[in-house]
Amino acid sequence: MKRIFIPLTLVAVALLSTNCSNDFIEVAPTENIAEADLLTIYNNNDGAKSFVTAIYSNALSFSASSFSWNGLTSMTSDDADKGSDPGDSGTDKDKCDALTLDATSLSVQEVFETNYQGISKANIALNYLPRLDKADAAVVARLTGEAKFLRALMYFNLVRCYGGVPIVDHVPVPSSAEDTDMTLIRKSKEEVYKFIETDLLAAIAALPEKSGYAISDLGRATKGAAHALLAKVYLYQGNWQGVKDQCAAVTGYNLVTDYATIWREVGEDSVESIFEIRGYGGNPSQGIEGYMVSQGARGTSGWGWGFNTPTASLANSYEAGDVRRDATIVFAGETMWDGRVVSPLVANPRYNEKAYVSNTKETFNGDWETTKNIRVLRFAEVLLMQAEAANESGTGDVTGPLNRVRNRAGLANTTAVGQVALRAAIRAERRHELAFEHDRWFDIVRTGQAKSVMAADGKTFVEGKHELFPIPQKFITQANGKATQNPGY
Amino acid sequence: MRNFIFSFLALILLPAYMSGQVIKGKVLDKSGIGIPGAMIIADDSKTSADTDFDGNFIINAKVGEILKISMVGFDALSIPATANVMSVTLNESKDTELKEVVIIGYGSRKKSDNTGSISQLSATDITKTKVLNATQAIQGKAAGVQVIGTDVPGSAPSLIIRGIGTYGADRTPLFVVDGIPTKNINNLNSNDIASFDILKDASSLAIYGNQAANGVVIITTKKGKGDKTTVEYDGFYGVRTPLKTVKMAGSNRFAYYSDVAEQNTRFSTDQRYNTNWFDEITRLGMYSSNNLSISGASDKINYLFSLNYYDEKGVLDGLDFNRFTFRNNNDYKLSDKLKITQTLSGSISKSTPKPLSAFTSAYKQSPLVPVRYDNGRWGMPIIGADGQASTTGSLFNNVGNPVAQLNYFTEEQKNLLLQGSIGLEYKIFEELKFTSRVGVEYNTFKRFSYTPTRELWLAADPSRDVANYSASEPINELVTGRSDYFNWNFDNFLTYNKKFADIHDVEVTLGMSAQEFGSREELEVRGRNVPENSNYWSLNQSSAPSNNLVTRHVIGNQRNLIGYFARFQYTLMEKYLFTGTIRRDGSSQFGSDNKWGNFPSFGLGWVLSKENFLAESETINFLKLRGGWGRLGNQNVPINQQTFSSGAGLGYDFGGSLYSGTTIGAFIDPTLGWEITDETSVGLDFKAIENKLSGSFDWYDKNTSNVILNVTPPLTVGTGATPAHAGEISNTGYEVSLRWDDNINDDLKYWIGANYSNNKNEVSKVYNPLAIRQNGGSINNGQFTKRLEVGEPLGSFYLFEVAGYDANGNFTYFDKDGGITSNPVETDRKFFGSSLPTYYYGMNLGFEYKNIDFSVDAYGVGGNKVYNGKKAQRFGNENIEASIATDFWTPTNTTAGNPAPFNSVPLSSDYYLESGAFLRVNNITLGYTLPKITNSVSAVRIYASAINPFISQKFTGYSPELNNDGDPMGLQGIELDAYPTLSSFIIGANVKF
Repeated sequence: MKRIFIPLTLVAVALLSTNCSNDFIEVAPTENIAEADLLTIYNNNDGAKSFVTAIYSNALSFSASSFSWNGLTSMTSDDADKGSDPGDSGTDKDKCDALTLDATSLSVQEVFETNYQGISKANIALNYLPRLDKADAAVVARLTGEAKFLRALMYFNLVRCYGGVPIVDHVPVPSSAEDTDMTLIRKSKEEVYKFIETDLLAAIAALPEKSGYAISDLGRATKGAAHALLAKVYLYQGNWQGVKDQCAAVTGYNLVTDYATIWREVGEDSVESIFEIRGYGGNPSQGIEGYMVSQGARGTSGWGWGFNTPTASLANSYEAGDVRRDATIVFAGETMWDGRVVSPLVANPRYNEKAYVSNTKETFNGDWETTKNIRVLRFAEVLLMQAEAANESGTGDVTGPLNRVRNRAGLANTTAVGQVALRAAIRAERRHELAFEHDRWFDIVRTGQAKSVMAADGKTFVEGKHELFPIPQKFITQANGKATQNPGY
Repeated sequence: MRNFIFSFLALILLPAYMSGQVIKGKVLDKSGIGIPGAMIIADDSKTSADTDFDGNFIINAKVGEILKISMVGFDALSIPATANVMSVTLNESKDTELKEVVIIGYGSRKKSDNTGSISQLSATDITKTKVLNATQAIQGKAAGVQVIGTDVPGSAPSLIIRGIGTYGADRTPLFVVDGIPTKNINNLNSNDIASFDILKDASSLAIYGNQAANGVVIITTKKGKGDKTTVEYDGFYGVRTPLKTVKMAGSNRFAYYSDVAEQNTRFSTDQRYNTNWFDEITRLGMYSSNNLSISGASDKINYLFSLNYYDEKGVLDGLDFNRFTFRNNNDYKLSDKLKITQTLSGSISKSTPKPLSAFTSAYKQSPLVPVRYDNGRWGMPIIGADGQASTTGSLFNNVGNPVAQLNYFTEEQKNLLLQGSIGLEYKIFEELKFTSRVGVEYNTFKRFSYTPTRELWLAADPSRDVANYSASEPINELVTGRSDYFNWNFDNFLTYNKKFADIHDVEVTLGMSAQEFGSREELEVRGRNVPENSNYWSLNQSSAPSNNLVTRHVIGNQRNLIGYFARFQYTLMEKYLFTGTIRRDGSSQFGSDNKWGNFPSFGLGWVLSKENFLAESETINFLKLRGGWGRLGNQNVPINQQTFSSGAGLGYDFGGSLYSGTTIGAFIDPTLGWEITDETSVGLDFKAIENKLSGSFDWYDKNTSNVILNVTPPLTVGTGATPAHAGEISNTGYEVSLRWDDNINDDLKYWIGANYSNNKNEVSKVYNPLAIRQNGGSINNGQFTKRLEVGEPLGSFYLFEVAGYDANGNFTYFDKDGGITSNPVETDRKFFGSSLPTYYYGMNLGFEYKNIDFSVDAYGVGGNKVYNGKKAQRFGNENIEASIATDFWTPTNTTAGNPAPFNSVPLSSDYYLESGAFLRVNNITLGYTLPKITNSVSAVRIYASAINPFISQKFTGYSPELNNDGDPMGLQGIELDAYPTLSSFIIGANVKF
């Protein structure tokens, strides 16, 4: 019997050996890289870059730059209607158009959420970058500048839409009450602008000019972009001297000759371009989701859903001979620059040409994620900001930069004289130069014209309410009393 | 591990232990058939033996020595040994209860001695309803076991044992097939199943530790028996049709309704076409199964080979499924002490899936659209100036052509699953047995899909000309993928069983189990412009090779589990029963501080019918009270390791090249571990009136105290939801089963049975405020329908309550204060009950008269709600049901059942919520066994069955039984993209040679 008990004892010992079993249930992950492997895998230039690449990538989502963003920044304004079939609301785009958005509207929530998702990616990058001591210090410094530029851009979008919002400036620790408050309590609009300025000044210090980048880095945030964005941030606060100083620092840029090419593939990364959200139409494509298709002509001969359509008011507002009218609007029945014939039977009379991608004359790899880049900042806007700052402050050259923009559009020098007339001229110029570039709504709110402009469009703009969109109800609920709703909602 | 394997091998090689004279004999029952497995004990010689498959035994003992011969189900006998070959006849025990054995974890137990709650189903229960997956066949047959069926070819139904106690972790029970743990038994040929034991209460389940929280189903497959080779054929053929259909508006009704909604006369009310889209996308379903098995046994070996081919053509056009399975189960008796068991099974299935959203498209698409225009182009929702369907004009809704959708959707999936095990049973000495078993599972999956992009472009607009198709767009796209995994498990346990002083029956089980769920490696590639002929669908044939791309290559995380278990079972005087178990489990899913957990349980039983006061009872033949408590775990939760998200999906273009990005998508909670469920239960089993009436009653209270919920950080945190322990879910219920069996005479016997189960599910606590108010049941129109809330069951519908109509015939709703509003806000929503039933029941009856057998099974549920999600899909000129088109609000009919025609996304409201209660006849079978024709054919039975022939339901949709994704907070209980329940009529034959 002993012969049986010896192996049995061995079995029992083996069964209870904790070393053996503890090793057995230590399994290395294979699906995703463990955070514990940060310093063995990401501690190099490419690793450092990848954390910042993810921030850029955030802007490509359908909600960040496409459907909901168009809903808030464009369809709300007098330049655009919801478009599409009357029966197709696009979830809540009818409410965007009618200025009846409420705190539960999807567009309101998505723009809020997606910008904070990008801010989170920026905070995550800023958290890891200092730990990557094997990456070139210069590269890490530049990447830090890029992350701060992008974070500033997203806070600028938030503050323009929602006013003062919580400033999340680092990755919050869930168990920290202080960090929880940071994510829930709204800061004032001024504090948010201050935070944006701080990020941009840091970015200016860290970033090279466009010419300082290798070709393979084309598209990264530049010193010029940070100056231009800071100028715009000052513009929204009426800091005219700041606008002038920052615009003056935007150097090495010029206007392209043909306005119509700006939004085409040939116009990408042009001498006029300061910052773009870049769609990659290759294989696999990684473009701005649905940007083209959601705004493409709908129905017979069409190529899209037909949302965000130019209004008659916009189409009729151009001066005779303004090349920007045809470059901005696709008219039903027209033959486009690439030879495409648009049937007169399309569902809507006009479509946004700046969202158009040619499937014959441009790189085309499917219509959901296209090669289309959104021009976020370009030199023509710098000129218009210079003109506005000069006109509002009473010092500096107003008509010089204004006429550069007009002349390029095929128009003669402005005939406006005096601050008031020039103010109207500059506003009209912004409308036509930057139509469908996600600024019209903010411009009419910023300049106090919203009530009259929207009334002319047949919409009721309630002063004291419609300057801001509502804070998403989902967030108000999460904040459980710590966050207040905007007035009127 | 190495030490362990070495000693394990040493054990196998132990020499046999022999002494004394050889006594031979055979143990028979009254009809002269050998009894296998009977035990022979020679006390003086201290030897023992088992009879083999034919009842033969060989034992070392002295002539004249008393041999004790015993067998479960028979009265024990003591008889002196003789030098001649002995022939011993045992009498069947009158106590029939003794014959019944249930399978428990790592062993089996006489049913009368068992303290837990186990439902056992036999092969006949499982094979009677002709379905692919055996789980479906047990619907309504076991109390406490809810099966939510589905008739999608090749799909698996949901199995819920005593309610759902989890939200974010795995919900499916563990299946243990011949010792191999698995999560899906779609590969298993129902004809191969010998028994299906469902472990329901924690005292039986705790031996499976942290895999047991959703219940365990132990499936034992058949083995060869008898000394003759048996060849058996079973085959059937059946046709299938939807059990219920929904009458849609015709084209003229549609036109009128939509004109009212649009307040113009866009649509002519005298339409040219009137398409019934449901009819256009469906066909008569057909299915068949052919099964062949060969089995038998000899002194040393028993064997079973089986082959099965199951073939189904779904009611949805083009949706086909077939499965070929084989099995080989052998047992080798190497010596009196050593037995090797081996199982091997393979399943090769092939399917051509089609999108179930075609059902919703068919529901929504307007009947005025033709399937094809006269010129052969696909019909689209385009209305011409004359108000008729046209190839040019305006697009009036966003629904595609359902027939074109199916026609251009080409996908094929092939799956191979191999399962096998090798085990040994070694009798170290009479009372102590060692069992060791290695099980393996290998799966390989292949799929491709072919999308004719150019044809789809043409189909989307009948005015398009192929010449205008962009040269830069693909003509077609081929996606093909592969995945595979390998799992193994290794179980070792010792079982000691001894009866002391005739009254103390002790059984101790000690063991360990190691499991590895290997990485699933997935590879997917995409190519463009392959030839149209399907035989050339490979990327090598692409005419645009620069577009070939690897779209996915993922190596899934491996998961390892290890557990140690001990069980003590004690029976005193066959009256007082005790079971205690403990399992210690470790899992690789959790952080280093949370890897191990302990799962104890105990059970008590008292066989009252053995007590003096009942022993003489004529009425009560058997009565046992039992109860217990146990703790169970669910380790199948999201992996708890902080990882990065990375790849091209987070990538961006710099300088014309794509670079991949890295970030953290969601932060994990370092304290995440397994979910813990505690259950207390009591029950009783009885037999009465000459054993004709049998039944059981069970009550249980089950609480999962650390349910994993998705803790959604505030929007401003910007990262995804984090699974964390955040709440409690309780399930309380009772179960009753009754059955009456009687033989009126030798020719006629009949039975009638019923079971009823009641379960109250409740999210009893949520202790993280960011985890409550999670919405679910999103219905593809931007609206949600369900919410997780404290005090409500899982799957609760959270909707606006319709108050009536406003002056324009649009719905008004009650606000939270009871006022009436046209624009309710989210806080005005209310809870309206859950998609989970509060009770379900089954009934079965049947008789056998001479050569005829007949049975009926019925099943019903109640207390649940279903959401008519497809009906809420009209927001831009989609079709409506006939009942709406004929009864809607008008200024002169303000009390109509439906609101004025509208074209906007309807709010989720109780208007779309209906009762989910139903009672359905699941099966009616009539069989006839032919008189013996020749000696070579031992039995022929022919049968006909009607499966789901009748249903009584209040729901106005296709089917109130809506499993969908199987998620109570998802689409379960919502009719959207749902496959209808089918009614099937089959004929079949069973022949034994």
